[in-house]
Amino acid sequence: MLAVRNVTKVFGADANRYLALDGIDLEVSPGEFVCLLGPSGCGKSTLLNILAGFERPSGGSVEFEGAPVRGAGRDRVMFFQDAGSALLPWLSAEENVRFALRVRKLPRETWPAILDKYLAMVNLRDHRHKFPAQLSGGMRQRLQIARALAVEPKVLLMDEPFGALDALTRRRMHGFLLDIWQRTGTTIVFVTHDIAEAITLADRICIMSVGPGSRITEVIGVGLPRPRDPGEPDAARLFKRVEGLLMHDIAEVA
Amino acid sequence: MRGPLLFGASIVIAFAAWQFLSSFVFNPFLIPPPLVVFETAVPMVKSGEIFRHVAISLARVGVGFVTGCAAGIVLGVLLGRIRLVNELLDPVIELLRYLSPTAMIPIAVIWFGIGETSKYFLIFWGTFFIVLINTTAGVMRAPVIRQRAAECLGANQLQIFLLVVIPSAAPYIVTGMRIAMASSFMSIIPAEILAADSGIGYLLQMSSILLQTNRIFVALLTICVIGFIFDRLFRMAVDRMLSRYMSYIALT
Repeated sequence: MLAVRNVTKVFGADANRYLALDGIDLEVSPGEFVCLLGPSGCGKSTLLNILAGFERPSGGSVEFEGAPVRGAGRDRVMFFQDAGSALLPWLSAEENVRFALRVRKLPRETWPAILDKYLAMVNLRDHRHKFPAQLSGGMRQRLQIARALAVEPKVLLMDEPFGALDALTRRRMHGFLLDIWQRTGTTIVFVTHDIAEAITLADRICIMSVGPGSRITEVIGVGLPRPRDPGEPDAARLFKRVEGLLMHDIAEVA
Repeated sequence: MRGPLLFGASIVIAFAAWQFLSSFVFNPFLIPPPLVVFETAVPMVKSGEIFRHVAISLARVGVGFVTGCAAGIVLGVLLGRIRLVNELLDPVIELLRYLSPTAMIPIAVIWFGIGETSKYFLIFWGTFFIVLINTTAGVMRAPVIRQRAAECLGANQLQIFLLVVIPSAAPYIVTGMRIAMASSFMSIIPAEILAADSGIGYLLQMSSILLQTNRIFVALLTICVIGFIFDRLFRMAVDRMLSRYMSYIALT
Protein backbone atom coordinates (compact mmCIF):
# COMPACT_ATOMS: atom_id res chain seq x y z
CA MET A 1 0.00 0.00 0.00
CA LEU A 2 2.78 2.35 1.03
CA ALA A 3 6.14 1.59 -0.55
CA VAL A 4 9.23 3.47 0.58
CA ARG A 5 12.34 2.69 -1.44
CA ASN A 6 15.83 3.82 -0.56
CA VAL A 7 14.62 7.19 0.74
CA THR A 8 17.20 9.72 1.87
CA LYS A 9 16.55 13.15 3.32
CA VAL A 10 19.09 15.94 3.54
CA PHE A 11 18.42 19.21 5.34
CA GLY A 12 20.43 22.36 4.67
CA ALA A 13 23.48 22.60 2.46
CA ASP A 14 27.27 22.79 2.64
CA ALA A 15 28.50 23.28 6.19
CA ASN A 16 24.99 22.98 7.60
CA ARG A 17 24.21 19.89 5.59
CA TYR A 18 22.52 17.28 7.72
CA LEU A 19 21.76 13.79 6.47
CA ALA A 20 18.61 12.87 8.37
CA LEU A 21 17.54 9.68 6.60
CA ASP A 22 19.90 7.38 4.75
CA GLY A 23 18.38 4.63 2.69
CA ILE A 24 15.02 3.85 4.25
CA ASP A 25 13.11 0.89 2.84
CA LEU A 26 9.63 0.13 4.10
CA GLU A 27 6.56 -1.68 2.80
CA VAL A 28 3.23 -1.25 4.54
CA SER A 29 0.38 -3.59 3.63
CA PRO A 30 -3.29 -2.60 3.64
CA GLY A 31 -4.80 -2.75 7.12
CA GLU A 32 -1.45 -3.14 8.79
CA PHE A 33 -0.42 -1.41 12.02
CA VAL A 34 3.24 -0.42 11.78
CA CYS A 35 5.20 1.35 14.50
CA LEU A 36 8.33 3.37 13.77
CA LEU A 37 10.30 3.13 16.98
CA GLY A 38 13.44 5.00 17.84
CA PRO A 39 15.01 7.53 20.16
CA SER A 40 14.46 11.27 19.77
CA GLY A 41 16.19 12.76 16.76
CA CYS A 42 16.22 9.57 14.73
CA GLY A 43 14.17 11.02 11.90
CA LYS A 44 10.91 9.17 12.60
CA SER A 45 8.88 12.34 12.25
CA THR A 46 10.78 13.31 9.12
CA LEU A 47 9.91 9.96 7.58
CA LEU A 48 6.27 10.41 8.58
CA ASN A 49 6.22 13.89 7.04
CA ILE A 50 7.57 12.41 3.83
CA LEU A 51 4.87 9.71 3.87
CA ALA A 52 2.24 12.42 4.40
CA GLY A 53 3.63 14.44 1.51
CA PHE A 54 4.55 17.49 3.60
CA GLU A 55 8.20 17.03 2.72
CA ARG A 56 9.89 15.64 -0.36
CA PRO A 57 12.59 12.99 -0.03
CA SER A 58 16.03 14.06 -1.27
CA GLY A 59 16.48 10.68 -2.90
CA GLY A 60 14.55 7.46 -3.41
CA SER A 61 10.84 7.11 -3.93
CA VAL A 62 7.61 6.92 -1.98
CA GLU A 63 4.61 5.30 -3.58
CA PHE A 64 1.06 5.09 -2.34
CA GLU A 65 -1.10 2.45 -4.03
CA GLY A 66 1.34 2.37 -6.91
CA ALA A 67 1.45 6.12 -7.58
CA PRO A 68 4.25 8.40 -6.40
CA VAL A 69 3.36 10.67 -3.46
CA ARG A 70 3.34 14.27 -4.64
CA GLY A 71 1.76 16.11 -1.76
CA ALA A 72 -0.63 15.83 1.12
CA GLY A 73 -3.96 14.21 0.45
CA ARG A 74 -6.84 13.01 2.50
CA ASP A 75 -6.12 9.36 1.74
CA ARG A 76 -3.15 9.76 4.13
CA VAL A 77 -4.24 11.79 7.14
CA MET A 78 -1.66 12.95 9.64
CA PHE A 79 -2.43 12.94 13.30
CA PHE A 80 -0.45 15.26 15.58
CA GLN A 81 0.63 15.09 19.18
CA ASP A 82 -0.24 18.73 19.78
CA ALA A 83 -4.01 18.58 19.37
CA GLY A 84 -4.33 22.14 20.67
CA SER A 85 -2.51 23.34 17.59
CA ALA A 86 -3.86 20.79 15.13
CA LEU A 87 -7.53 21.37 15.92
CA LEU A 88 -9.26 24.62 15.09
CA PRO A 89 -9.68 26.11 18.57
CA TRP A 90 -12.36 28.58 17.50
CA LEU A 91 -14.66 25.76 16.44
CA SER A 92 -16.58 23.42 18.72
CA ALA A 93 -15.91 19.69 18.68
CA GLU A 94 -18.73 19.13 16.24
CA GLU A 95 -17.66 22.04 14.04
CA ASN A 96 -14.12 20.67 13.88
CA VAL A 97 -15.42 17.44 12.42
CA ARG A 98 -17.75 19.40 10.17
CA PHE A 99 -14.72 21.29 8.85
CA ALA A 100 -13.38 17.97 7.57
CA LEU A 101 -16.68 17.21 5.84
CA ARG A 102 -16.75 20.66 4.34
CA VAL A 103 -13.31 20.40 2.75
CA ARG A 104 -14.20 16.89 1.66
CA LYS A 105 -17.06 18.45 -0.35
CA LEU A 106 -19.72 16.02 0.81
CA PRO A 107 -23.34 17.05 0.25
CA ARG A 108 -24.70 18.86 3.29
CA GLU A 109 -27.60 16.44 3.83
CA THR A 110 -25.16 13.68 4.68
CA TRP A 111 -23.32 15.67 7.36
CA PRO A 112 -25.50 15.08 10.44
CA ALA A 113 -25.37 11.30 10.13
CA ILE A 114 -21.60 11.26 9.60
CA LEU A 115 -21.03 13.69 12.47
CA ASP A 116 -23.09 11.49 14.77
CA LYS A 117 -21.30 8.37 13.67
CA TYR A 118 -17.78 9.58 14.30
CA LEU A 119 -18.49 11.60 17.42
CA ALA A 120 -20.16 8.48 18.82
CA MET A 121 -17.22 6.34 17.78
CA VAL A 122 -14.87 8.46 19.90
CA ASN A 123 -17.40 8.92 22.74
CA LEU A 124 -17.67 12.66 22.30
CA ARG A 125 -21.36 12.94 21.45
CA ASP A 126 -22.12 14.52 24.81
CA HIS A 127 -19.31 17.06 24.37
CA ARG A 128 -20.02 18.06 20.80
CA HIS A 129 -20.67 21.70 21.61
CA LYS A 130 -17.56 22.20 23.71
CA PHE A 131 -14.51 23.95 22.38
CA PRO A 132 -11.11 22.21 22.29
CA ALA A 133 -9.91 24.35 25.21
CA GLN A 134 -12.75 22.92 27.32
CA LEU A 135 -11.81 19.31 26.56
CA SER A 136 -9.20 17.21 28.38
CA GLY A 137 -6.04 16.12 26.59
CA GLY A 138 -7.42 12.65 25.89
CA MET A 139 -10.70 14.06 24.61
CA ARG A 140 -8.85 16.40 22.28
CA GLN A 141 -6.96 13.49 20.83
CA ARG A 142 -10.21 11.57 20.40
CA LEU A 143 -11.65 14.57 18.63
CA GLN A 144 -8.64 14.61 16.35
CA ILE A 145 -9.26 10.94 15.61
CA ALA A 146 -12.91 11.62 14.80
CA ARG A 147 -11.92 14.47 12.50
CA ALA A 148 -9.37 12.30 10.73
CA LEU A 149 -11.78 9.39 10.34
CA ALA A 150 -14.48 11.67 8.95
CA VAL A 151 -12.53 12.01 5.72
CA GLU A 152 -12.26 8.21 5.59
CA PRO A 153 -8.51 8.02 5.07
CA LYS A 154 -6.84 4.86 3.88
CA VAL A 155 -3.82 5.51 6.06
CA LEU A 156 -3.55 7.23 9.43
CA LEU A 157 -0.09 8.66 10.07
CA MET A 158 0.35 9.25 13.78
CA ASP A 159 3.24 11.28 15.18
CA GLU A 160 3.65 10.36 18.85
CA PRO A 161 -0.05 11.07 19.27
CA PHE A 162 -0.33 10.14 22.92
CA GLY A 163 3.08 11.35 24.06
CA ALA A 164 1.64 14.27 26.01
CA LEU A 165 -0.98 12.24 27.90
CA ASP A 166 -0.67 10.71 31.33
CA ALA A 167 -0.01 6.96 31.53
CA LEU A 168 -3.57 5.90 32.37
CA THR A 169 -5.19 8.03 29.69
CA ARG A 170 -2.61 6.77 27.23
CA ARG A 171 -3.54 3.15 27.98
CA ARG A 172 -7.20 3.91 27.45
CA MET A 173 -6.35 5.62 24.16
CA HIS A 174 -4.45 2.51 23.06
CA GLY A 175 -7.48 0.32 23.56
CA PHE A 176 -9.57 2.88 21.83
CA LEU A 177 -7.30 3.21 18.82
CA LEU A 178 -7.02 -0.57 18.40
CA ASP A 179 -10.78 -0.89 18.54
CA ILE A 180 -11.23 1.74 15.84
CA TRP A 181 -8.43 0.25 13.76
CA GLN A 182 -10.09 -3.15 13.87
CA ARG A 183 -13.50 -1.73 13.06
CA THR A 184 -12.46 0.51 10.19
CA GLY A 185 -9.61 -1.49 8.72
CA THR A 186 -7.53 1.67 8.33
CA THR A 187 -3.81 1.24 7.81
CA ILE A 188 -1.80 2.94 10.56
CA VAL A 189 1.79 4.11 10.66
CA PHE A 190 2.53 5.12 14.23
CA VAL A 191 5.66 6.94 15.39
CA THR A 192 6.75 6.49 18.99
CA HIS A 193 9.81 6.33 21.22
CA ASP A 194 7.97 4.24 23.78
CA ILE A 195 8.81 0.54 23.51
CA ALA A 196 5.79 -0.63 25.54
CA GLU A 197 3.49 1.45 23.36
CA ALA A 198 4.93 -0.09 20.20
CA ILE A 199 4.55 -3.61 21.58
CA THR A 200 0.98 -2.95 22.70
CA LEU A 201 -0.10 -1.65 19.32
CA ALA A 202 1.92 -2.83 16.38
CA ASP A 203 1.78 -5.71 13.93
CA ARG A 204 5.33 -4.83 13.03
CA ILE A 205 7.90 -2.66 14.77
CA CYS A 206 10.51 -0.90 12.64
CA ILE A 207 13.44 0.15 14.77
CA MET A 208 15.25 3.23 13.55
CA SER A 209 18.83 4.14 14.36
CA VAL A 210 19.98 7.48 15.77
CA GLY A 211 20.79 10.18 13.24
CA PRO A 212 22.60 11.46 11.31
CA GLY A 213 21.88 9.02 8.55
CA SER A 214 19.15 7.04 10.29
CA ARG A 215 18.00 3.85 8.76
CA ILE A 216 15.68 1.04 9.74
CA THR A 217 17.96 -1.35 11.52
CA GLU A 218 15.53 -4.07 12.45
CA VAL A 219 11.96 -5.05 11.68
CA ILE A 220 10.23 -7.15 14.32
CA GLY A 221 6.91 -8.85 13.77
CA VAL A 222 4.85 -8.83 16.96
CA GLY A 223 2.94 -12.07 16.76
CA LEU A 224 1.18 -11.73 20.11
CA PRO A 225 -2.62 -11.89 20.41
CA ARG A 226 -4.46 -8.67 21.28
CA PRO A 227 -5.27 -7.17 23.72
CA ARG A 228 -1.69 -7.29 24.87
CA ASP A 229 -0.40 -6.66 28.32
CA PRO A 230 3.18 -5.37 28.45
CA GLY A 231 3.55 -7.34 31.70
CA GLU A 232 2.99 -10.78 30.13
CA PRO A 233 6.11 -12.94 29.77
CA ASP A 234 6.11 -12.95 25.94
CA ALA A 235 5.64 -9.20 25.79
CA ALA A 236 8.25 -8.66 28.47
CA ARG A 237 10.75 -10.79 26.56
CA LEU A 238 10.07 -8.78 23.44
CA PHE A 239 10.48 -5.59 25.43
CA LYS A 240 13.93 -6.73 26.61
CA ARG A 241 14.94 -7.63 23.12
CA VAL A 242 13.84 -4.32 21.60
CA GLU A 243 15.39 -2.41 24.47
CA GLY A 244 18.65 -4.24 23.87
CA LEU A 245 18.62 -3.26 20.22
CA LEU A 246 17.92 0.38 21.03
CA MET A 247 20.42 0.61 23.90
CA HIS A 248 23.13 -0.87 21.74
CA ASP A 249 22.47 1.80 19.15
CA ILE A 250 22.37 4.67 21.62
CA ALA A 251 25.49 3.45 23.42
CA GLU A 252 27.47 3.78 20.23
CA VAL A 253 26.57 7.45 20.00
CA ALA A 254 26.60 8.49 23.65
CA MET B 1 -19.24 43.75 42.00
CA ARG B 2 -15.93 44.40 43.71
CA GLY B 3 -14.33 45.51 40.41
CA PRO B 4 -16.76 48.34 39.57
CA LEU B 5 -16.80 49.49 43.21
CA LEU B 6 -13.03 49.78 43.34
CA PHE B 7 -13.04 51.41 39.93
CA GLY B 8 -15.48 54.04 41.22
CA ALA B 9 -13.49 54.45 44.43
CA SER B 10 -10.31 55.00 42.45
CA ILE B 11 -11.92 57.82 40.45
CA VAL B 12 -13.49 59.44 43.52
CA ILE B 13 -10.21 59.36 45.46
CA ALA B 14 -8.37 60.86 42.49
CA PHE B 15 -10.87 63.72 42.24
CA ALA B 16 -10.66 64.34 45.99
CA ALA B 17 -6.87 64.47 45.85
CA TRP B 18 -7.05 66.79 42.87
CA GLN B 19 -9.47 69.10 44.70
CA PHE B 20 -7.26 69.13 47.78
CA LEU B 21 -4.02 69.75 45.89
CA SER B 22 -5.33 72.57 43.74
CA SER B 23 -7.08 74.27 46.67
CA PHE B 24 -4.34 74.07 49.28
CA VAL B 25 -1.03 73.15 47.63
CA PHE B 26 -0.85 74.52 44.11
CA ASN B 27 -1.96 77.69 42.43
CA PRO B 28 -5.64 77.11 41.49
CA PHE B 29 -5.12 79.10 38.32
CA LEU B 30 -2.48 76.66 37.09
CA ILE B 31 -4.39 73.61 38.27
CA PRO B 32 -8.08 74.48 38.35
CA PRO B 33 -9.94 72.35 40.91
CA PRO B 34 -12.56 69.84 39.71
CA LEU B 35 -15.47 72.03 40.72
CA VAL B 36 -14.20 74.90 38.59
CA VAL B 37 -13.60 72.57 35.69
CA PHE B 38 -17.13 71.24 36.11
CA GLU B 39 -18.59 74.75 36.12
CA THR B 40 -16.65 75.52 32.96
CA ALA B 41 -17.80 72.31 31.30
CA VAL B 42 -21.53 72.83 31.88
CA PRO B 43 -22.02 75.74 29.44
CA MET B 44 -19.68 74.07 26.93
CA VAL B 45 -21.84 70.96 27.05
CA LYS B 46 -25.10 72.93 26.99
CA SER B 47 -24.10 74.99 23.98
CA GLY B 48 -22.90 71.84 22.25
CA GLU B 49 -19.46 73.39 21.75
CA ILE B 50 -17.65 70.41 23.25
CA PHE B 51 -19.66 67.88 21.24
CA ARG B 52 -18.85 69.72 18.03
CA HIS B 53 -15.14 69.42 18.71
CA VAL B 54 -15.48 65.81 19.83
CA ALA B 55 -17.50 64.87 16.75
CA ILE B 56 -14.94 66.43 14.43
CA SER B 57 -12.03 64.71 16.15
CA LEU B 58 -13.89 61.38 16.18
CA ALA B 59 -14.67 61.64 12.47
CA ARG B 60 -10.99 62.21 11.76
CA VAL B 61 -9.95 59.31 13.94
CA GLY B 62 -12.67 57.15 12.38
CA VAL B 63 -11.70 57.75 8.77
CA GLY B 64 -7.96 57.42 9.41
CA PHE B 65 -8.40 54.38 11.64
CA VAL B 66 -10.69 52.44 9.33
CA THR B 67 -8.61 53.07 6.20
CA GLY B 68 -5.39 52.44 8.13
CA CYS B 69 -6.73 49.11 9.45
CA ALA B 70 -7.94 48.03 6.02
CA ALA B 71 -4.62 48.81 4.35
CA GLY B 72 -2.61 47.41 7.26
CA ILE B 73 -4.51 44.11 7.28
CA VAL B 74 -4.33 43.61 3.51
CA LEU B 75 -0.63 44.37 3.24
CA GLY B 76 0.10 42.56 6.51
CA VAL B 77 -1.47 39.38 5.19
CA LEU B 78 0.60 39.61 2.02
CA LEU B 79 3.76 40.21 4.03
CA GLY B 80 3.01 37.30 6.30
CA ARG B 81 2.15 34.92 3.50
CA ILE B 82 4.43 35.77 0.58
CA ARG B 83 8.06 35.54 1.42
CA LEU B 84 9.34 37.71 -1.43
CA VAL B 85 6.97 40.55 -0.53
CA ASN B 86 8.15 40.31 3.04
CA GLU B 87 11.83 40.38 2.17
CA LEU B 88 11.34 43.34 -0.14
CA LEU B 89 9.17 45.46 2.13
CA ASP B 90 10.12 44.52 5.66
CA PRO B 91 13.34 46.61 5.81
CA VAL B 92 11.50 49.71 4.60
CA ILE B 93 8.70 49.17 7.08
CA GLU B 94 11.16 48.62 9.90
CA LEU B 95 12.59 52.08 9.13
CA LEU B 96 9.38 53.97 8.41
CA ARG B 97 7.61 52.79 11.54
CA TYR B 98 9.80 55.13 13.60
CA LEU B 99 8.17 58.11 11.93
CA SER B 100 5.36 58.78 14.36
CA PRO B 101 2.29 60.66 13.16
CA THR B 102 3.60 63.70 15.06
CA ALA B 103 6.83 63.63 13.07
CA MET B 104 4.78 63.59 9.90
CA ILE B 105 2.67 66.66 10.77
CA PRO B 106 4.90 69.30 9.11
CA ILE B 107 5.09 67.48 5.81
CA ALA B 108 1.41 66.50 5.97
CA VAL B 109 0.45 70.16 6.26
CA ILE B 110 2.51 70.98 3.18
CA TRP B 111 1.10 68.04 1.26
CA PHE B 112 -2.53 68.28 2.28
CA GLY B 113 -3.02 71.71 3.90
CA ILE B 114 -4.78 72.12 7.23
CA GLY B 115 -8.05 70.64 5.96
CA GLU B 116 -9.42 67.22 6.86
CA THR B 117 -7.16 65.27 4.52
CA SER B 118 -4.00 65.97 6.51
CA LYS B 119 -5.65 64.62 9.69
CA TYR B 120 -6.97 61.54 7.91
CA PHE B 121 -3.50 60.98 6.59
CA LEU B 122 -1.81 61.34 9.98
CA ILE B 123 -4.20 58.94 11.73
CA PHE B 124 -3.90 56.55 8.80
CA TRP B 125 -0.13 56.73 9.08
CA GLY B 126 -0.11 55.84 12.77
CA THR B 127 -2.71 53.08 12.46
CA PHE B 128 -1.30 51.50 9.34
CA PHE B 129 2.09 50.48 10.72
CA ILE B 130 0.79 49.12 14.01
CA VAL B 131 -1.90 47.01 12.34
CA LEU B 132 0.47 45.96 9.57
CA ILE B 133 3.16 44.67 11.91
CA ASN B 134 0.68 42.82 14.12
CA THR B 135 -1.12 41.26 11.16
CA THR B 136 2.14 40.07 9.64
CA ALA B 137 3.18 38.53 12.94
CA GLY B 138 -0.20 36.82 13.34
CA VAL B 139 -0.20 35.37 9.84
CA MET B 140 3.37 34.17 10.14
CA ARG B 141 2.68 32.51 13.48
CA ALA B 142 -0.38 30.58 12.35
CA PRO B 143 0.72 27.12 13.53
CA VAL B 144 2.23 25.04 10.72
CA ILE B 145 0.69 21.95 12.31
CA ARG B 146 -2.78 23.44 11.99
CA GLN B 147 -2.24 24.24 8.33
CA ARG B 148 -0.83 20.80 7.64
CA ALA B 149 -3.69 19.13 9.47
CA ALA B 150 -6.16 21.02 7.30
CA GLU B 151 -4.13 20.25 4.21
CA CYS B 152 -4.20 16.51 4.70
CA LEU B 153 -7.92 16.60 5.41
CA GLY B 154 -8.18 17.83 1.83
CA ALA B 155 -8.35 21.61 2.20
CA ASN B 156 -6.99 23.55 -0.77
CA GLN B 157 -4.65 26.53 -0.41
CA LEU B 158 -7.48 29.08 -0.47
CA GLN B 159 -9.40 27.19 2.20
CA ILE B 160 -6.30 26.89 4.36
CA PHE B 161 -5.73 30.60 3.99
CA LEU B 162 -9.30 31.73 4.68
CA LEU B 163 -10.42 29.09 7.17
CA VAL B 164 -7.19 28.43 9.06
CA VAL B 165 -4.57 31.15 8.67
CA ILE B 166 -6.77 34.24 8.93
CA PRO B 167 -8.73 33.02 11.99
CA SER B 168 -5.45 31.98 13.62
CA ALA B 169 -4.13 35.51 13.06
CA ALA B 170 -7.32 37.16 14.33
CA PRO B 171 -6.14 37.70 17.91
CA TYR B 172 -3.00 39.45 16.68
CA ILE B 173 -4.93 41.59 14.24
CA VAL B 174 -7.47 42.62 16.84
CA THR B 175 -4.75 43.42 19.37
CA GLY B 176 -2.99 45.54 16.76
CA MET B 177 -6.23 47.38 16.05
CA ARG B 178 -6.76 48.07 19.70
CA ILE B 179 -3.27 49.49 20.17
CA ALA B 180 -3.69 51.49 16.98
CA MET B 181 -6.95 52.93 18.25
CA ALA B 182 -5.31 54.15 21.45
CA SER B 183 -2.49 55.62 19.40
CA SER B 184 -4.98 57.32 17.07
CA PHE B 185 -6.62 59.06 19.99
CA MET B 186 -3.21 60.24 21.09
CA SER B 187 -1.95 61.42 17.74
CA ILE B 188 -5.09 63.30 16.69
CA ILE B 189 -4.33 65.86 19.42
CA PRO B 190 -0.92 67.12 18.22
CA ALA B 191 -2.23 67.04 14.68
CA GLU B 192 -5.10 69.34 15.62
CA ILE B 193 -2.90 71.54 17.78
CA LEU B 194 -0.53 72.24 14.94
CA ALA B 195 -2.78 72.08 11.93
CA ALA B 196 -6.50 72.54 12.43
CA ASP B 197 -9.26 75.03 13.06
CA SER B 198 -11.52 72.63 14.93
CA GLY B 199 -11.42 69.52 17.09
CA ILE B 200 -10.32 68.76 20.65
CA GLY B 201 -6.69 69.56 19.90
CA TYR B 202 -7.70 72.92 18.48
CA LEU B 203 -9.76 73.60 21.62
CA LEU B 204 -6.66 72.85 23.71
CA GLN B 205 -4.48 75.13 21.62
CA MET B 206 -6.94 78.05 21.64
CA SER B 207 -7.53 77.76 25.38
CA SER B 208 -3.79 77.77 25.93
CA ILE B 209 -3.28 80.94 23.87
CA LEU B 210 -6.05 82.62 25.89
CA LEU B 211 -4.59 81.24 29.16
CA GLN B 212 -7.93 79.54 29.94
CA THR B 213 -6.56 76.71 32.08
CA ASN B 214 -10.07 75.69 33.12
CA ARG B 215 -11.04 75.08 29.48
CA ILE B 216 -7.77 73.21 28.89
CA PHE B 217 -8.74 70.87 31.71
CA VAL B 218 -12.17 70.32 30.25
CA ALA B 219 -10.55 69.34 26.96
CA LEU B 220 -8.03 67.04 28.69
CA LEU B 221 -10.79 65.29 30.66
CA THR B 222 -12.79 64.89 27.46
CA ILE B 223 -9.84 63.13 25.80
CA CYS B 224 -9.56 60.73 28.74
CA VAL B 225 -13.27 59.91 28.71
CA ILE B 226 -13.57 59.52 24.93
CA GLY B 227 -10.49 57.30 24.68
CA PHE B 228 -11.70 55.14 27.53
CA ILE B 229 -15.23 54.81 26.14
CA PHE B 230 -14.04 53.82 22.70
CA ASP B 231 -11.60 51.26 24.01
CA ARG B 232 -14.42 49.69 26.04
CA LEU B 233 -16.76 49.75 23.04
CA PHE B 234 -14.07 48.10 20.94
CA ARG B 235 -13.57 45.39 23.52
CA MET B 236 -17.30 44.78 23.79
CA ALA B 237 -17.63 44.50 20.04
CA VAL B 238 -14.72 42.05 19.93
CA ASP B 239 -16.18 40.02 22.78
CA ARG B 240 -19.51 39.86 21.04
CA MET B 241 -18.33 39.05 17.53
CA LEU B 242 -14.89 37.50 17.78
CA SER B 243 -14.75 35.89 21.21
CA ARG B 244 -14.37 32.38 19.80
CA TYR B 245 -11.25 33.51 17.97
CA MET B 246 -9.83 35.33 20.99
CA SER B 247 -10.55 33.07 23.93
CA TYR B 248 -8.23 30.27 23.01
CA ILE B 249 -5.05 32.31 23.38
CA ALA B 250 -4.70 30.80 26.83
CA LEU B 251 -4.60 27.35 25.27
CA THR B 252 -1.82 27.93 22.76
